[in-house]
Amino acid sequence: MFLDSQLFDKFGVEYSPNDIIFCEYEPGNEFYFIQNGRVKIVKIINNTEKTLDILEVGDVFGEMAILEEQPRSASAIAMDHVKLLRFRRENFDALLQGNPQLAYKLLIIFSKRIYDAKRRLMILLLEEPQIKVMDVMCMLSEQDPHLDLQEAITLRVTMQEVANWAGMQIVDVQKILSHLNQLGKIELFNDRIVVKNIRDFQRMVSSRRKNMFS
Amino acid sequence: MSNGAMGQTSGIVTRRYKHGSIVYFENDKSEYIYILKGGRVILTSLKVDTGEEVKEEIKPGEFFGVKSSLGKYPREETAQTIGETVLLVLTLADFERLVLQNVNVVRKMLRIFSNQLRRIGKSQREVLGESESINPAEELFKIGEYYYKVGRVQQAQYAYKRYMEYYPDGKYSGPSMQRIRAIESGSTGGGDDFPPVGPAAPPSPPVRGDENVDFTDFSIDDEKPAAAAPSRSPLDDFGVDAASSSPLASEMDDFFSEGKSVDFDGDPFNGGDMNGKGGKGVAENFYAAMSKFSQEDYAGALALYSRILEVHNLKNDSEAKIFEKAHFEIGRCYLKLGKFTEALTAFSNMIKKFPSSENVKNALFHMGVVYESVKKADKAAAYYNRVIPMEPRDSINKLAAKRLKAIENG
Repeated sequence: MFLDSQLFDKFGVEYSPNDIIFCEYEPGNEFYFIQNGRVKIVKIINNTEKTLDILEVGDVFGEMAILEEQPRSASAIAMDHVKLLRFRRENFDALLQGNPQLAYKLLIIFSKRIYDAKRRLMILLLEEPQIKVMDVMCMLSEQDPHLDLQEAITLRVTMQEVANWAGMQIVDVQKILSHLNQLGKIELFNDRIVVKNIRDFQRMVSSRRKNMFS
Repeated sequence: MSNGAMGQTSGIVTRRYKHGSIVYFENDKSEYIYILKGGRVILTSLKVDTGEEVKEEIKPGEFFGVKSSLGKYPREETAQTIGETVLLVLTLADFERLVLQNVNVVRKMLRIFSNQLRRIGKSQREVLGESESINPAEELFKIGEYYYKVGRVQQAQYAYKRYMEYYPDGKYSGPSMQRIRAIESGSTGGGDDFPPVGPAAPPSPPVRGDENVDFTDFSIDDEKPAAAAPSRSPLDDFGVDAASSSPLASEMDDFFSEGKSVDFDGDPFNGGDMNGKGGKGVAENFYAAMSKFSQEDYAGALALYSRILEVHNLKNDSEAKIFEKAHFEIGRCYLKLGKFTEALTAFSNMIKKFPSSENVKNALFHMGVVYESVKKADKAAAYYNRVIPMEPRDSINKLAAKRLKAIENG
């Protein structure tokens, strides 16, 4: 995001590592653009802190607050020394008038968010855990347009992330992934998963999905 | 598809379509954005959570195809014209230029997008079983408690302070102040519970026994239903089956067998997870049954599921889960085979045996379907009525509501 540097004078805020920027369930009426550093989006689920996302320079967060005040659905925590632009709902209109390019960026961000959210919902709606896990891998493969899906592909994802996407417990995901590993369908590493034939997964998932409502 | 003259005005192309033309198909990839200038356009898409077809008419002057173009993902709907139609076709660059000149358009779109995002978020929470009726004040305090207990006092402090800021007279203002002071005086967290924090989630409503299953009243001899043909049940019309006929089913079969045992506990040193009964593992039988079911071999699936029920020494949680699921699946097999009495018995056994199973709702729903299959509409309605309010709300609740409505409308 390349916004005017004057904007930082007016809307800039800074946070130190581990500072909470906003907290799950607190009312929200501000949204943020990251100018510098990384921000972790977390949620306490079943008494464990789960990382939903790690955001970097150019990312926006808290954007649901643009239109109405609603409790935050997750917490945002600074990972580094973070510089942000903070905008309040009240001056959103004025901000848009003065920065139409920001408006355009927001449209793009929302479009992507909607697609990602819908895609995740499609995963969550699948009935069988192993199909959900496969679909997480399909989704990740869709996110990188440069992957050659005819070949083995490498997905930069951890088990925990797969569990988050699938809305499952990590132990269950672990069982399924180790099983797929044993079958030679995937190769498991700490920070990545190599999928031998993602087309295979795609076919199975779509056959399941088609039959859900047919 | 697009038959018609192209006119060039101010960089933006005008395109004319005949009646019934497809502007784009679902899953197409394209960066064009359209504005309806004259005529009519209908967008058709499937709802992700119910599979329902949704039609939306574009009003003159409105944009369509915006999200997928901006987000660079495939079209999510099919756009078709009704009558002679004129569209303005914009590239992303055209669109950007237009938007930069008219921020009001963006504001309106952002509002629509934000509402969509919220709706999807709500569906996600429903599927994940996260309650809608939470009390944000209490939850905010609990977040503080979480961080305090794990010793992350800085973050705990933030939550308590926010609590005090928003709810100074709230139920937890006392405890919050205590925590804040404790942290300020150097506490590192990990303290005791404050008793007043309520239960995390309301206990799921108790499942009533099967008092509604009236076998004396359930005779399929007195009114031979047409639905007795094995491959035809009301389920076929609205599809609750995760699997049915599919050429890919055999692929699934291959996938889960590959000559190896299926052991979801994934202990590579354990070799095959055999239970010593017939030599086949519980998981292996389960997946083989699933595959048979998906190939419409319901008798074959039934035999395999029944074998799972004979196992007495379940090794672990995952086998226990399969054991439970097999009870449910047997009911589905009987239903598919048109053996309604057996199906009813199987579902009611499953509920009796596993009253807190997540499949209880689905079993109740299927019992409704069984009654519907034998033309006992009032009984079916009673079951659907039981299913509709059950948590967590998901596609089964919606299907039950749909079936109930269909019954009520005759």
